[in-house]
Amino acid sequence: MGPGLSQAAPGTRRGGATTLLGLALALAATSAAAVLFGRYPEPGFMPLSSLSSDPMAWNVFSLIRVPRVLGAILTGATLGAAGCAFQLVFANPLVDAGFLGVSQGASFGAALALLAGGGSALLFGSTFAFALAALALTGFMAARIRFGGAVLRLVLSGMAVSAFFSAAVSAIKYGADPTNKLPEISYWLMGGLAGSGWARLLLAAPVALLSLAFLVATRWRTTLLSLEEATAASLGSRPALERTLTLGFAAAGVAAVTALAGPVTWVGLIVPHASRLVLGGDGAATIPASALLGALFVVACDAVARGAFPGELPLGIVTAFAGTVAFFALLLRRRLPGGRA
Amino acid sequence: MLRFDSVGFSYKGSRAPALDGFSLEAEPGRVMAVLGPNGCGKSTALGIAAGWLKPSSGSFRNSGKASFLPQSERLAYAFTCLEYASFGRAPHLAWLGTPGPRDRELALAALARVGMEGKAGTPITALSGGELQLVRIARALAQDSPWMILDEPTDMLDPGHAVTVGSTIVALAAAGTGILLSTHDLAFALSVADEAALVKDGRVLATGPAAGILDPARLGGLYGVPFGMATVPAPLHAAAGTGR
Repeated sequence: MGPGLSQAAPGTRRGGATTLLGLALALAATSAAAVLFGRYPEPGFMPLSSLSSDPMAWNVFSLIRVPRVLGAILTGATLGAAGCAFQLVFANPLVDAGFLGVSQGASFGAALALLAGGGSALLFGSTFAFALAALALTGFMAARIRFGGAVLRLVLSGMAVSAFFSAAVSAIKYGADPTNKLPEISYWLMGGLAGSGWARLLLAAPVALLSLAFLVATRWRTTLLSLEEATAASLGSRPALERTLTLGFAAAGVAAVTALAGPVTWVGLIVPHASRLVLGGDGAATIPASALLGALFVVACDAVARGAFPGELPLGIVTAFAGTVAFFALLLRRRLPGGRA
Repeated sequence: MLRFDSVGFSYKGSRAPALDGFSLEAEPGRVMAVLGPNGCGKSTALGIAAGWLKPSSGSFRNSGKASFLPQSERLAYAFTCLEYASFGRAPHLAWLGTPGPRDRELALAALARVGMEGKAGTPITALSGGELQLVRIARALAQDSPWMILDEPTDMLDPGHAVTVGSTIVALAAAGTGILLSTHDLAFALSVADEAALVKDGRVLATGPAAGILDPARLGGLYGVPFGMATVPAPLHAAAGTGR
């Protein structure tokens, strides 16, 4: 018997359900604290009494903090679950949405919309559309490479598509007006929920929730995709179809939350690692756990980003700092979780 | 009945066909060993038998579903042996189903059958090559299909593990499972197989009872090196008392 195993049910990890429940409770508690945390009326936690006595406090709470925390939950949950699904489909613990060009396509779409100076609907639409266009381009190119397995072809064409959209973003930044457009684009690319409110949340939520529902519902099927393609097929899986569906739903979710929050880095990479460290390789446990842990991580990081300092920090910077520190901690603790020895 | 009728198969981008006029029949409750040099088309034929590859020409028919053990396997994550063996239950579950207590019970029984029940909770990444092969076989056992297709099942196994695998195969066939396997291990083929097929350049050169067909002259022609005969231990099915 290895560590973390129950005597009652040999071979199953102890407390998969307990871990999920614990994460859900921690998320609820952290979210409740986060909606009360900020710089108004003064730095720290808002007293509950001020919600009824101070109309301004109620407005800050209901119009800014609640949609923002819900946006953080949605963003983290989607990025965590999608990252875990990507890592299973590619049978590689080091991939995330960036590997298919989704993140770079989203950045390009946002930069283009900001350059054009449209409103938040255009920004959302352009970001979402280019993220999916990048994914489609990756799939289109991959189908035309004449060598290698399906996964290798996707990774190679994803790298090329990412590099292409990175170059396009650089070109837009180079040509943007340095007094107003360039800083606007640069700040967006750092990621953050500062501009999110109910309107943008309601734009992103349907797609992100649909993506999450699909990823959680198919979590065990997705685990089968991490096996050799011939093995998966002999187990009744239809690898090409199921891989396309899973990647499509995962990427659509990532596109929606990127349109909401900008590029929030490291969540899709580090959160699935942490989940596997506790729960092992089975996506039946790690996909829901990654959704909950991702939400918890982003809610906490966003609270720090907006409330810990006099000026707001971009969320992407906080998640990257916290993510890299956590990543080092995991690397030093043991071999790469879930990877080969 | 599992039947290849003049099957041809070419891989994308490859000029020479992997199979060309490949014809073979295997019966339920029997073990058929496919032998031949590297690159002769054994794995391709097994891939077709497993339903993973589709013939480019000719026809392939199968009386029931098959479980499949590819020669090598990509295992990126540290599943426990029980979680891994439970994957074999996938064809028995609804599309969005996950293995329940009964599936885990059957997976555990499959592990027990290859002597690996004590490692049910061990991550597969912590196993030796031989142990991993046994757990992969347990996954195929848990699938409980009328046919089992095994691509070099004793690859990487020490003699002890090979005997465990051999006895399991013989017992499965005795219980009615049809088995099609490829191997380079002639002694193993002689000890488990009822029939053997000799394959070269994508077609079957000869087929018949294993003991009759695996003679030095035919094997010399097949592999291009001289063969001699030596006495080997009693066949496993005789030892296992199946009386075949």
